[in-house]
Amino acid sequence: MNAPLRFLGRYARRNLWPYTLGAIALLVTNYAVVRIPALMGDALNVLERAGADALSQSRGLAIELIVLALGVIGVRTASRALFFNPGREIEFRLGVDLFERLLGLQRPFFNRHKVGELVSVATNDTTAVRLLVGFAGLQVCNVVVAIPMHLWQMLRTDVWLTLWCLLPVVFGAAYMRWTVKRFFSMVRESMQLLAKLSDRVLEAYAGVGTIRAHAAEPATLRRFDERNDAYLALQLRMSAIRAFGMPVLAFSGLVGTGVVLWVGGNGVLAGQLGVGDLATFTALLVSLVGTLTALAWVLAAIGRGLIATDRVADLLHTPDELPPASHTLALTAPPRIELRDLSFTYEGASEPSLQHVDVDLAPGATLGIFGKTGSGKTTLVNLLTRIYTPPAGTIFVDGIDACTITLPSLREAMAVVPQTPFLFSTRLRDNITLRDANPRARRRGKDGAPPEPEPDDPRLDAVLRASCLVDDIANLPSGLDTVVGERGVMLSGGQRQRAALARALYRERPVLVLDDVLSAVDQGTEARLVAAIRALRAGHDRGLAPTTVIVSHRTSVLEHADEILVLDGGRVVERGTHESLLRQGGLYADTHAHQEGEP
Amino acid sequence: MSDADESKLAAVGSAWSLLRRFWGFARPHQRWIWLGIAMIPMVAGMTALRPLLLKHAVDVEIPDGDAIGLRVLGIGFLVAVMAEFLCSAVQVYALQRGGHATINDLRRQVFAHVLRLPARFYDNNAIGSLLSRTTSDVEALSETLAFGVFTILTDVVMIGTIVVAMFVLDPVLTLVTLTVAPVLYIIVRYFGASLRRLQLEIRKSQAAQTGFLAEQLTGVTVVQLYGREQAALGEYARLGQRNLDATKKANVLDALLFALMDGISAFTIALMIYFAAPSVTGGGAITVGLLFAFVDYLQRVFGPIKEFSGKLATIQRASASLERIYGLLDEPTEPRAPAEAADPLAKWRGGLSVRDLHFRYKSDGPDVLRGISFDIAPGEVIAVVGRTGSGKSSLGRVLTRFYDGYRGHVTLDVGERTVELSEVPPERLRAHVLMVQQDVFLFNDDVAFNVSLGEDAIAADPSRIRGALSLVQADAAIAERGGLGFEIGERGTNLSAGEGQLLAFARVAAREPTLLILDEATASVDSLTEQKVQRAIEQLLRGRSVLVIAHRLSTVRRADRILVLAGGQVVESGHHDALMAKNGLYAELVRAGLDDEAGASGDGAQPAAP
Repeated sequence: MNAPLRFLGRYARRNLWPYTLGAIALLVTNYAVVRIPALMGDALNVLERAGADALSQSRGLAIELIVLALGVIGVRTASRALFFNPGREIEFRLGVDLFERLLGLQRPFFNRHKVGELVSVATNDTTAVRLLVGFAGLQVCNVVVAIPMHLWQMLRTDVWLTLWCLLPVVFGAAYMRWTVKRFFSMVRESMQLLAKLSDRVLEAYAGVGTIRAHAAEPATLRRFDERNDAYLALQLRMSAIRAFGMPVLAFSGLVGTGVVLWVGGNGVLAGQLGVGDLATFTALLVSLVGTLTALAWVLAAIGRGLIATDRVADLLHTPDELPPASHTLALTAPPRIELRDLSFTYEGASEPSLQHVDVDLAPGATLGIFGKTGSGKTTLVNLLTRIYTPPAGTIFVDGIDACTITLPSLREAMAVVPQTPFLFSTRLRDNITLRDANPRARRRGKDGAPPEPEPDDPRLDAVLRASCLVDDIANLPSGLDTVVGERGVMLSGGQRQRAALARALYRERPVLVLDDVLSAVDQGTEARLVAAIRALRAGHDRGLAPTTVIVSHRTSVLEHADEILVLDGGRVVERGTHESLLRQGGLYADTHAHQEGEP
Repeated sequence: MSDADESKLAAVGSAWSLLRRFWGFARPHQRWIWLGIAMIPMVAGMTALRPLLLKHAVDVEIPDGDAIGLRVLGIGFLVAVMAEFLCSAVQVYALQRGGHATINDLRRQVFAHVLRLPARFYDNNAIGSLLSRTTSDVEALSETLAFGVFTILTDVVMIGTIVVAMFVLDPVLTLVTLTVAPVLYIIVRYFGASLRRLQLEIRKSQAAQTGFLAEQLTGVTVVQLYGREQAALGEYARLGQRNLDATKKANVLDALLFALMDGISAFTIALMIYFAAPSVTGGGAITVGLLFAFVDYLQRVFGPIKEFSGKLATIQRASASLERIYGLLDEPTEPRAPAEAADPLAKWRGGLSVRDLHFRYKSDGPDVLRGISFDIAPGEVIAVVGRTGSGKSSLGRVLTRFYDGYRGHVTLDVGERTVELSEVPPERLRAHVLMVQQDVFLFNDDVAFNVSLGEDAIAADPSRIRGALSLVQADAAIAERGGLGFEIGERGTNLSAGEGQLLAFARVAAREPTLLILDEATASVDSLTEQKVQRAIEQLLRGRSVLVIAHRLSTVRRADRILVLAGGQVVESGHHDALMAKNGLYAELVRAGLDDEAGASGDGAQPAAP
């Protein structure tokens, strides 16, 4: 309980002023809120007694009431705004800080956590935290200030009547607290049921071709009904609570009013109370019940908020698991890359994925890596690019242990195309140049003025030609400015791969790593791409071509590599140039023969 | 999500038509809704009655010192309170029950409708947006309901009743209190409009921010490898700031609205006391009890007004959702045969003739099939080969009526008559013509379901499922996994790619279609599985008409005839040996390795890129 509050304290400190002012405004508001019914009661009392100066007195009270009513508008607005807005700011800062932390975490972390789960922490949990610091904060202050003030005003009017009319309200409040708890557990359950229902719907839509081909609509509908009906059943249970459980507290307030009428009425008869006092009580009860209702909701928000705070704090404090870095890489020329007895076992795996790999790759040379699925090709790339951290003393860039190099500087030196191409939902142009991740901001820039024409970019043109993307772009609705990715035009697998390749080529770095990037392109295109990549390397105008690592399961892609490693089960089973491997007549030669045509 | 749609807010007229159509869905549950509506006058009546009892106590019993009368009145008051509680609970429950049941039906209807939309519709609509219309949009209706929007009707009736009661009690004093009504109206209107605008902006910016976050985290490796962390963070903060600005504004407005209502409520009471004072003291018509009642009335009126604007906003959101849902429901579905109609293909044995078949995906697009003619005799195996984009997959999609609108003739030989393909209802056709697509789709259920796909005749007979599995030689592997009840996981994650293939073949074996259209998958599987797959295909080709879009040499060799497609036309046809001897396109394809164009042809639902 203490840790999350300390954590929040650090965030809330910046908003100390709004909170202080808010607290003062709150105090004043609550004073006004209990004063108003009292003034009302006084005025009625005066009128009932019908004394000589009743008219002027009651009018005086009415004017006081008007002043108070107008004043309460200002302070109440201030108290709510001052308490709620810092909560929003904290939510915002938490979100940004979380994202920053996540960006610093590496693949092993993302293997353990689904994206949906992380997004939920960054959105739902920060919202729960916000409710805690804003809403709950306000209500706690309310409770500390408002309830005592209400009670004070009531007790001041009449002690016995207060006790009598609070009796039903206390029961009502306890029941409300229990009901809200129950309701929240149902809300949680309903979110799970809804997610399960969505899964069913998504599954059916994604598999609609199969469903249709097998005329399986009736069964699909039955599967949907199971979950749809379960969801309805829960909704109805929640409706019952909403209808019969939630209003109980307000009902208890009205019962309290009845008690006021009965007990208080007798008090008036006995001359202990004025009629106006009854009105004061009635109004105070209404306002007290409102406060208690809010309190019941807030108590639930506090519990959830604290749990959420814990989750957010945990994520923010996740260690990045990176080794301490002592070197910053600043390459001016393609580096020598060495692997020395590199072995690697994934966390939780029993078998090593790479065993005793040794490579010495000269500056500007090309290393080919060949092997079947699961042979360790991608593992090697993942270690070289430090997507996973390699063991110390196994990978050297220009003689420096890669583990000791700061991650940003190491990656700054590389252009990598991972196995599964990933495109962002931005313009294709931005996906390749990565210059501006936010096309809309630029386009909107000048009050809806047409987008500025893109400056000529010969490097981009060259890269597009090399990646055989020119024809594809011509067929896109807005050419290079077409928004692609999840929320844009879906490109085919081969187009995505080539766009990712273009992104890497555009980057022009001293190290180029291509992880099976031509798997979804047809043979003709593949040959052109291989030729283009080679030509780019040859035509490199800044000294040597990049030191290159190409992974493929196709021999035709690797033909021109200076050295080819053949991996099988994590071990180097053959190595040499294309020609020497063919002469060896091993796995590589067999596959080559098979891929080239009839065995 | 199409947030843009939301900004065009529904006009009042269209709101009515939306509601009328919604009533169509609600009709089966109308008993609950009528029950709820019937409670409204009771609730309003009780609300108006209670202050009258108070007035009576203050004006009659208390001045008269009538303790008995006061007690009777107190009991009456409690009875009224109890009645109000019960009526209002029944009302809320009945309306929610009717509403949720209706929404449940609506969701089902949308789902069933989307399942029957033609493939062309799926080509043009992302599955994500279909999903959000089936779940999120329907859920928005549900939230609207939960928020108690139906009580807006109660609120209106209640406010009306109270105003009438006040008028009856004292018209002048009522008019005095009503002087604040124009101010209230302006406030509710102004704040309502601003708040709704801000709410829209808040939800839009939040969706953008969450979407951005999800995407960046999905592609986090690329972000990191390309050193884009700072840029991504900056964009995220920018989107968050946009949301923050709108939220803060909305907060202040909301707080102001809340405070104004409270303030005006107190102000009105003060105003009333000020004007009533001379009459009370001067022995006029206004009594203290009347003031008492008015104070109570006024406090009742302001609560609902405070929530008015919020309720209007959710109603507006709901109507935007409804519009999108209706838009989806208005999409024409594939035709369906009347349930009792006879099966036109009952006597069909698999004979088929295709004459001068032309086909295009989009009416303004190029033809992908350009004059194809061929016959399939009952029991004949025809292989179709060709490069990506030659039209081979399109052929299968036309023959199963996944896509309509071909030109030319496709006739099925049914006994002594022939039937044109376009006249056979799609689901009747597919009971006889089964297309197995390249990408195997597996459901998150057990093996038995994935073979039967819930078809009663198969699901009820496990021996049929076992027989099918053993025919494709998947029985041993499945038994090893734990038998028919083995849960294969989401999209079959608990199975290997090869096993998934075999399951898809078992579906065919269990159904025994008259004509099988098999789009051979080219997923890379290890050689042992590859052998199994080949043997399974061999089994499937026996004893029925088959059109196989072939990628394997072993399959092509087994075909009775091979059609070689190029540019949507048949350029060669004949047996493997004859075509090899001819040394044309076919020989070239074989030499290039038939299976080498893997993956490029994309998934089954999409037309292959031309």
